[in-house]
Amino acid sequence: MNIKKIMHVENLTHFYGNQIGCKGINFDLYKGEILGIVGESGSGKSTLLKCLSGEISPSAGKINISLDQGGVKDFLSLPEQEKRQLMRSMWGIVHQNPRDGLNLRISAGGNIAERLLNVSEKNYSFLRNTGKYWMEKTEMDSDRIDEFPLSFSGGMQQRLQISKILSSNPQIVFMDEPTGGLDVSVQAKILDTIKSIVRDINVTMIIVTHDLAVVRFLTDKLLVMKDGIVVETGLTDRVLDDPQHSYTQLLTSSILQV
Amino acid sequence: MKTGFNFAYLDEATKRMIRRKILKAVCIPGYQCPFGGREMPLAYGWGTGGIQVTASIIGKQDILKVIDQGADDTTNAVSIKNFFKRVCNIMTTDRTAEASLIQTRHRIPETTLNKDQIIVYQVPQPEPLRKLEPKEKETRKLHAYKEYALMHVKLYEEISQFGSVIKTWAYPVETNNRYITDPTPIPKFDNPKMNNMEALQLFGAGREKRIYAIPPYTKVKSLDFDDHPFEIQTWDECCSICGSTKSYLDEIIINNEGKKNFICSDTDFCKSNLEKNK
Repeated sequence: MNIKKIMHVENLTHFYGNQIGCKGINFDLYKGEILGIVGESGSGKSTLLKCLSGEISPSAGKINISLDQGGVKDFLSLPEQEKRQLMRSMWGIVHQNPRDGLNLRISAGGNIAERLLNVSEKNYSFLRNTGKYWMEKTEMDSDRIDEFPLSFSGGMQQRLQISKILSSNPQIVFMDEPTGGLDVSVQAKILDTIKSIVRDINVTMIIVTHDLAVVRFLTDKLLVMKDGIVVETGLTDRVLDDPQHSYTQLLTSSILQV
Repeated sequence: MKTGFNFAYLDEATKRMIRRKILKAVCIPGYQCPFGGREMPLAYGWGTGGIQVTASIIGKQDILKVIDQGADDTTNAVSIKNFFKRVCNIMTTDRTAEASLIQTRHRIPETTLNKDQIIVYQVPQPEPLRKLEPKEKETRKLHAYKEYALMHVKLYEEISQFGSVIKTWAYPVETNNRYITDPTPIPKFDNPKMNNMEALQLFGAGREKRIYAIPPYTKVKSLDFDDHPFEIQTWDECCSICGSTKSYLDEIIINNEGKKNFICSDTDFCKSNLEKNK
């Protein structure tokens, strides 16, 4: 089977002044793969995600992306317009705080529609039906399509954010602590939802989290970060069951056993 | 003519600067060009932008018409007309067909404009995206990259809440398949007149210091959805003065019981129509 490589990262490095953000990161991302990035607070996970999603431009390194149309491109040298276009349709970020990813002044349906309007979809009933479809898909009540995000609970807002991103059928989804700040039962439900959708639509994802339960449940491959560098990488099962690096060993052994 | 002022009030250097901006605006239909707006002897919000554009293009041969909400005899229109009479000593008229230059607030005359005419709009807010995106830095990017989803989201919201788009004035248009443009607070009834208009359309915003333009014969499309096409207002009534059924009607409450009358908002059109029907 020939699986397509859609992202190739080489020696990605970012400094904040003299401070290391992340350093010498290398990995390949294949279509349909879910990559987890774990590490403690301040280990450079979020910096890495920001570099990958174009939010900041790294000090050094290379990111090659291969799009459905247009072949392999050097992501970092893309003009701002193309980066924005990517983020608005073919890629998507699910933020930890749903309020960063949603427009609170417009309804749930409007939020999903915005994503589709970015790709010039100008048919109202189509927008409406797609909105409802994705709300149901993420186990929300599609009758609430005209309500505003603020009338939803935190977990529902997160579901809405996920439907918004997935509605444009993106190639890569970046998730930054998608279940952070939610209580355990809601976390579990949302992870369940993500997992079943991912199986359905074969989306490629990069998930940043400090929660080992999340990576074990969702991801195929894992990068373990500490102090800005990747200390261990491999298949998720292998890394978690047979950790080689002392930090990974510490990490896996510090899960609370109740 | 009042002495002590340059012709048309503004000094020649300022007029030249504004003309240069107008040329740029005409070259990029719908694009908002910043310009060095001057203080005018008029409060912001009363047409300082329109007056500056008019002042910099008016010539001794021009015949000026000024309307406010379609009417020639309202305070704003009369004052601006008197202003130009004093500082230019030019002819003014109420007749749309006779005018070579028309300054307007909130209406386009019912009489079709021709290629020898210029219409200048007074613009309160040149940025159609302003209420959707408060940051100027961001709205400029949205225009530059043609990212106009926000505007359609607004229309989506209105349809989902009210069943149809309820915006009836300053209804956003797309100019020349490129820039989304604020047509100024004209009723959407007037939007179709902007499409392929023979006359040059200039827009001046004094407070915001922006000039934009729609050249003659330019495509101007009101935004809509495929399955919710753009529609203009209609009335069951006709004008109670001239009997017109084709013009934009103002609703007038005429007594304490709330009895309503409808009359043409375009006073010149109403008069000519009345004369024609006599």
